[in-house]
Amino acid sequence: MKTKTPKQEIGYQSPLGRRGLRGVALVYLTVLLLIPLFVIIQDGLREGLTGLWHQVTLPIAWSALILTLWTAAIMTIINTMMGTLTAYALVRYDFPGKTIINSLVDLPLAIPTLVTGVMLVVLFGPQQALGALLKEQFGISIIFAPPGIIMALLFITFPFVVRTVQPVLLDLDRAQEAAATTLGAGSWTIFRRITLPPLILPMISGALLSFARAIGEFGAVVIVAGNIPLYSQTAAVYVLGEVESENRLGASAVSVVMIAIAFSLMMLVDWLQQRERKGSL
Amino acid sequence: MSIVLEQLTKRYDGHPVVNNVSLEVGDGEFFVLLGSSGSGKTTILSLIAGLVPADQGRILLHDREVTFLAPQQRKVGFVFQNYALFQSMTVADNVEFGLSIRKVPAAERRKRRDELLELVGLAGLGNRRPRQLSGGQQQRVALARALAYQPDVLLLDEPLGALDAKIRGELRRNLKNIQRQLGIATIFVTHDQEEAFDLADRIGVMSFGRLVEVGTPDELYQRPQTEFVASFLGTANLLVGDLTSEGVKVGKWYFPISHDCQQLSQDGRAQVLFRPEDVALAPEAAIMDSPKLGEAVVEEVSFGGAHERLRLRLPAISGVRSISPPVAFGSNSILVDATRSPEQAARFPLQQGDKTWVGVHRIHVLAHPGLSFLILSDGSLRSQAALNLGGQMARLAHARVTLIGWGAQGEALQSHLQEARRQLGSGLAALEVLTSEKEPAQAVRQAVERQQHDLVVLGFNHQEDMRLAEQLREAGDHHLLLVPRPQATPSKALICILSGEPGKDDVLFAGRLIRHLSADATLLSVLTPSSARQDSRARAERFLEGGVRSLSLLGVPAQTAIRSGTVPEEIQSEARDGSFDLLVLGAPLVRSGGGISLNGVAGQTLGLLPDIATMIVRSHYMAPG
Repeated sequence: MKTKTPKQEIGYQSPLGRRGLRGVALVYLTVLLLIPLFVIIQDGLREGLTGLWHQVTLPIAWSALILTLWTAAIMTIINTMMGTLTAYALVRYDFPGKTIINSLVDLPLAIPTLVTGVMLVVLFGPQQALGALLKEQFGISIIFAPPGIIMALLFITFPFVVRTVQPVLLDLDRAQEAAATTLGAGSWTIFRRITLPPLILPMISGALLSFARAIGEFGAVVIVAGNIPLYSQTAAVYVLGEVESENRLGASAVSVVMIAIAFSLMMLVDWLQQRERKGSL
Repeated sequence: MSIVLEQLTKRYDGHPVVNNVSLEVGDGEFFVLLGSSGSGKTTILSLIAGLVPADQGRILLHDREVTFLAPQQRKVGFVFQNYALFQSMTVADNVEFGLSIRKVPAAERRKRRDELLELVGLAGLGNRRPRQLSGGQQQRVALARALAYQPDVLLLDEPLGALDAKIRGELRRNLKNIQRQLGIATIFVTHDQEEAFDLADRIGVMSFGRLVEVGTPDELYQRPQTEFVASFLGTANLLVGDLTSEGVKVGKWYFPISHDCQQLSQDGRAQVLFRPEDVALAPEAAIMDSPKLGEAVVEEVSFGGAHERLRLRLPAISGVRSISPPVAFGSNSILVDATRSPEQAARFPLQQGDKTWVGVHRIHVLAHPGLSFLILSDGSLRSQAALNLGGQMARLAHARVTLIGWGAQGEALQSHLQEARRQLGSGLAALEVLTSEKEPAQAVRQAVERQQHDLVVLGFNHQEDMRLAEQLREAGDHHLLLVPRPQATPSKALICILSGEPGKDDVLFAGRLIRHLSADATLLSVLTPSSARQDSRARAERFLEGGVRSLSLLGVPAQTAIRSGTVPEEIQSEARDGSFDLLVLGAPLVRSGGGISLNGVAGQTLGLLPDIATMIVRSHYMAPG
């Protein structure tokens, strides 16, 4: 005997409505996302893989890609540690102004990244007091140099780790820590063996998200970095330069590499988040 | 002694969740803390384990004071309500955790872990993750983990609460066996009576942060000391009868009382308890071999598995008042709960509406709690009046008195209290004198935290002390007597019932006090023009009649009066016309989130009658709006 499951009954929609809805979503995704992606990949591979490889390994392009990756990597390490710390402080401690600080965390998402660049120039520029001091006393230049890029990326990606770690930390069963206390564990042991393990996966997702976000950053970097080829020009800025000098193949080739990196990172994040969800069941 | 708690107190936001608790748990004893949720039982465990610091008191484990030790150093095994297993570790790592912290060598750790998993019946499951186990298995892992490092004492916080009934019974037996084998002193927290009776060597019953009574399951069930425990455990039939030299008189029967109850009551009344299984039923009086309460009508019959349960209604018995099961306001009949075995039921079948003779095999006399007064005095003229009247009433009611002196400084205060002590001195059940440099409301709050008082007495000026009166009402669950000027012991009390208030409890308290004063009472209800319809008058009459019957059961002669008009004015004219010298008013309960306000009818009435002692009884009705 055939019986209908209640789910079908409750979720019933006319076949037309169901198909229509799905159709609209797919068309939208195609026009907005897939076609441009396809076009740029096709454009980058216009002269085959060797042509793409040639464009990417041009010294200036190669240096821009490498700079982009290592600044993003350093930023990711710092951001993961400090973001986790911030989330921990926001969840576990009470201090004056906590609510305000909690909403400030998301601010970098809303501030135009150009403004972020300007802020850093105003703070650390060679003509400014702090910038001059660092330069004279320690020989460190921040603006128009890789440290400026890292600084800008740190600012822009600040929310990612905080906002992936925070909910997990909030959900964490404090009784486990109390149990560890009664069993004789000190606070460092408790952090290392009880609190930290469930945070590892969200920390990695947050780190990958901020890394992916960082490699494409343009607005803040273009102001802060100074765009000195072979020294402080990142991939995104390089692409702009190539577009302006009408080397479309160069622009597309580097773009394709950036897309490939971003795409694999996103796949990884997705996989990690699925694992995390399964784990918490 | 394995666990000793001395006057332990813990407050959250100034509110005591554990209130002056003292307890001793012997070596190898299985002690159960029983109480409803929010009674402070879990907090006691947290205090012992050191997870929260105590505000006052001491904790000793195996004669070692641990009050100020870190939880890591207390050697306490704790099983949490939700088990709190380490989700990121295997079962084996969970169990070994306490040992690995103590740097026990790996081989020994494994041996001990396997022993414990064997002990709790989970051998071979060491490689699982906690979330791969059933609730019952998780509970056993939590137990094994707590026991692994051989703690001095074991604390269990509702460990079986989240499991279904069948598994619970099985785990209960396991738990008891394991505890016996190891001989470890254990405190087990639960709200489940059956669990408590099944497991405990001794039970401690908790209510509102206090440890009300401690005893073996049998003692607490058969011979409780307090009304609270008698009605909290199982089903209780509780009556108030007269205490005589031959025993407690219930109706025409005298029930012998054990020698230790002789000095229970100073007011000649005693509460008696009998359980449903102590009730005997017979078709005729002649064949009843136990003392008879009378002939009752069967109100309800139901089957509770092994037993038949009956609820019976007895006609009023002179001089006897029923506490439990509760009867409707104004009714003076007595309800009795009874159980019978199937054989008894078969021999004498009963149905709803049938008549049966009711007797009792056995009764137990409770310590009838006497009244307790708190009098505030700052040496002023009106507090002198409060001292006089409060003291006089306390003497008549055999009440214990606590006197709080405040306001004045040093010598002046001392000499004033000296004088007060001399004045109050004789004829009191007990007198305790405290001085406080705090605000009076705060001092009262502190005093009632320590011990519940029935009545707080305050010298009162309606223009100056209204706010203080409100604060004192808010400070605890007591009634308030406001004394504006010196006066003789009241002989005529006017109990004002404002739209259903005071409720039954309040009329009963006022009645209890008024009986001690040998005063007469009048119950007054004022119908406002908006409510002065025919049916509301009839309803008010019925309500007042019920109140009169309740008062006459207490031995207070009472009359009724109904007026219509504005409430405070009508109360004023009734009080003046009848020359009453004690006014009883109801005050609404504390509203959630807000304080008590006496601005309404109560406040206006206080203003209109500035020279009569007024008792504000707490009402169990919520303020409207």
